[in-house]
Amino acid sequence: MNYPVWDVLFGSGLLIALVAGLHVFVSHFAVGGGLFLVLTERKARRTNDLALLNWLKIHTKFFVLLTVVFGAVSGVGIWFTIGLIAPSATSDLIHIFVWGWAIEWVAFFIEISSALLYLYGWDKLPPKLHEWYGWIYFIAGYASLVVINGIITFMLTPGNWVDVHKFWIGFFNPTYLPSVFFRTAICLALAGIYALITASVQKDAELKARIVRWGAWWTVPSLIALVPLGWWYIHEIPATLFLSARGPMPTATHFASLAWILLAITFVLMLLAVFTPRRLHLVFALVVALVALGAMDSFEFVREDVRKPFVIENYLYDNSLYVYDMPGDGGFTVDNVTNVGVLHAAHWIHQRTITPGNRVEVGREIFRVECQSCHTPNAYRGMHQLIEQRQWDPATVSAMLTGISLMHNGVMPPFAGTDAERGALAAYLNSLQTILPNPATFSNGKLMFENHCSMCHQDRPDDPLFTGLDPNPQVAADSLKNLPGLFPLMPDIKLNRTQRASLVHWVNSQRPAGKSGAASSSATQGGN
Amino acid sequence: MISPSVMPTIPTVDPNPLPAPYWVLKLLLVVTFYLHILAMNLMLGGAALALLARLTSKGNPMRGRIFLDVAKKVPTLLAATITLGIAPLLFVQVIYGQYFYTSTILIAWPWFLVLALLVAAYYGFYYVAYNGKRRPRAAGVVLFISLALVMLIGFIYTNNFTLMQTPARWAAKYFAAPSGWSLNLADPTLIPRYLHFMTAAVAVGGLLLVLLALARWKHDREYAEYIFQFGGKAFQYATMAQFLVGIWFLISLPRDLRMIFMGDNPVATAMFGIGVLGALAAIFLMSDALRKQNIRMAAFGVTGITAVVILCMSIMRDNLRDAYLKPYFHPDQFAVKTQWAVFPLFLGIFVGGVVLWLVMLKRYGLFTSTRPTEK
Repeated sequence: MNYPVWDVLFGSGLLIALVAGLHVFVSHFAVGGGLFLVLTERKARRTNDLALLNWLKIHTKFFVLLTVVFGAVSGVGIWFTIGLIAPSATSDLIHIFVWGWAIEWVAFFIEISSALLYLYGWDKLPPKLHEWYGWIYFIAGYASLVVINGIITFMLTPGNWVDVHKFWIGFFNPTYLPSVFFRTAICLALAGIYALITASVQKDAELKARIVRWGAWWTVPSLIALVPLGWWYIHEIPATLFLSARGPMPTATHFASLAWILLAITFVLMLLAVFTPRRLHLVFALVVALVALGAMDSFEFVREDVRKPFVIENYLYDNSLYVYDMPGDGGFTVDNVTNVGVLHAAHWIHQRTITPGNRVEVGREIFRVECQSCHTPNAYRGMHQLIEQRQWDPATVSAMLTGISLMHNGVMPPFAGTDAERGALAAYLNSLQTILPNPATFSNGKLMFENHCSMCHQDRPDDPLFTGLDPNPQVAADSLKNLPGLFPLMPDIKLNRTQRASLVHWVNSQRPAGKSGAASSSATQGGN
Repeated sequence: MISPSVMPTIPTVDPNPLPAPYWVLKLLLVVTFYLHILAMNLMLGGAALALLARLTSKGNPMRGRIFLDVAKKVPTLLAATITLGIAPLLFVQVIYGQYFYTSTILIAWPWFLVLALLVAAYYGFYYVAYNGKRRPRAAGVVLFISLALVMLIGFIYTNNFTLMQTPARWAAKYFAAPSGWSLNLADPTLIPRYLHFMTAAVAVGGLLLVLLALARWKHDREYAEYIFQFGGKAFQYATMAQFLVGIWFLISLPRDLRMIFMGDNPVATAMFGIGVLGALAAIFLMSDALRKQNIRMAAFGVTGITAVVILCMSIMRDNLRDAYLKPYFHPDQFAVKTQWAVFPLFLGIFVGGVVLWLVMLKRYGLFTSTRPTEK
């Protein structure tokens, strides 16, 4: 709201995923691979292994061309991209951690310089001096990880910073340490995995086997270490953050499972490589790398996903509204925007009054400033699809908007704005629909549940829908007339008689035996 | 109610206070921008002159050597440009974030595409550096493409940094098309400003050749003399052209902004005076050095003067931005809360980093006359 919203048709968040997803895979290699270079050089010189040394020269060139070019540009690229998509959050992170970024920049400068000198120095420098550049490179690279890690983990677990606003409190936050160790293990694992790529194209089978076995010493223990480290990491994240992942939209749980599975596959593939090191083929090496990329990005997605609905947990929502009032917040808090209205509070709104003729266009603008950081009208997380699938009529859409912060165990910020603005947003969302709700589906209780309740409720006996609803069908159906009367935060959806009855019938049919009410109520006309 | 046509929409300052006094951040911004622009000039100008040498190398093996010699330096200079560009990009966001993020979002797609263009240009330069000798024809084509890409990136940057300081244009652009394709093409200062930077790059590229001549003066005199003449003339012609481009840029500025360089702002006026006189002096000194084959006069004298001129220009650029933003931007709008728990640490690491960097270059042999020849 403070900044204009970049309108990307297919969803701007995908651009962050693209840039960051590729960057992390190279940047962690840039750190672990640095240590790999010096230690491999030392090993080759000590054992007088000229073939290994010659391979390492090639590997250095591959390493530098990948990390100094793609790694560096994509790293700056993340910064470019988040500035475009989440400018308020970027500005916050910049201002809170200016000196952190500045320190990281010094480390980065040394890192790039020493990488180039290490590469160009292969045939010019005495071995000891050459290794010295390698060590400087690794230490500088690791320093940049150690610094950036403080800022990334801060976003998920700012801890006491939210109260005291002190640099080091935010920096050394609850997940700082597990994340450093976890990422260090990733770095070391990737050093061995990338070595497979340049090793696989070596003609000397003996040399290839030596590299693969040496690389396995880096990768296999690190992959094993990732299991306890990952467990530690997860346990330092407040359990409440995982609520949404265990709710009706278990995206993070799926990514977590995927991460563990792909990690296991990487492990198995690495063992296969060790058992047949002479025959290692480039395609196989690339497959190992791709699977590892999948594992790593799945992990990053979990981290991003459990953070919802915040960019900075408990401080800034994904749509750039601050969670609490504070000096200098510009009025960009949920409470203030709800009080004064989006059309008054937001900076980048063209039409500031709602008329019967412009409701849809105003709704489009509200959608842009409040929802479009995650949703699109018709594409990624498209509202068109989400609403049409649930067959909501205009009144239902409007009512549902009052309860979005409860949906999926809390992955969305609350709607901030006046009732009239909510109405305009609903009008816009309805304008996206091309199919009208089919009243015939109203008599299907299961569909009723899925379309109208499952955003917040789960099909489980301990869910309030089951524990709270009166077993008597008639009483239950009557109680559904006034949902906020059941629970004040519930959206005031107006279900008709058929809908209420079919829903109650289905709920009763799902109850464990002996607890259900008179399921064969005469009011029930459908059900499953 | 705010009407965009009366008072431009300016985003609110970030609620987190500045972690150091404003002037510290401003100083860091100007100094690091200066370093960045020096590296950019060397990289872009070097690439341009390498291409020129390649295009005119038929029957002239010296030009072919210049092409190979200079093209090998370009990837490292691009690395320096990017690395030194991070710091000013950080500090501009600290001080001018309200303006910077907004204009960036207006030209989001070109800005985002900078990343792809940069990666492509970078790998192109490496291709030229590694394959220039074996495949000069292909390398020439790739060099041309990479140079065009970095020039395009420069054009996108000029768009962003001119748009950033003209908030009155934002709302109309944004509401006409929020899809992030609003370049700042209607700004009359855009083209002369862009050309001002590009011309300077060619001049500084000429100085890169002069410095290379200095490094080869003892072992390879014939080539060094040739590259000295080539680079020195490039510097002269580009700097002369700069007078025309500079005047164009100056008259394209709105009158009240132009006047900051002509008395309204003493600092800006002084910088302008030193800049113009310095550039004139540099042309004459270079002319003299070329005639007398005095490489030291060119490599130290002209380069030194030019370094001062570019510093003045960097300060003028900052003065101009503040003049543009004068109706909206006031340094006293910032809350300041110096982070004493970490700011000294940064200073220590910064100084330590510079020392380490110099030691690294020294031990590599870059400062000794028996420096290893390039790979």
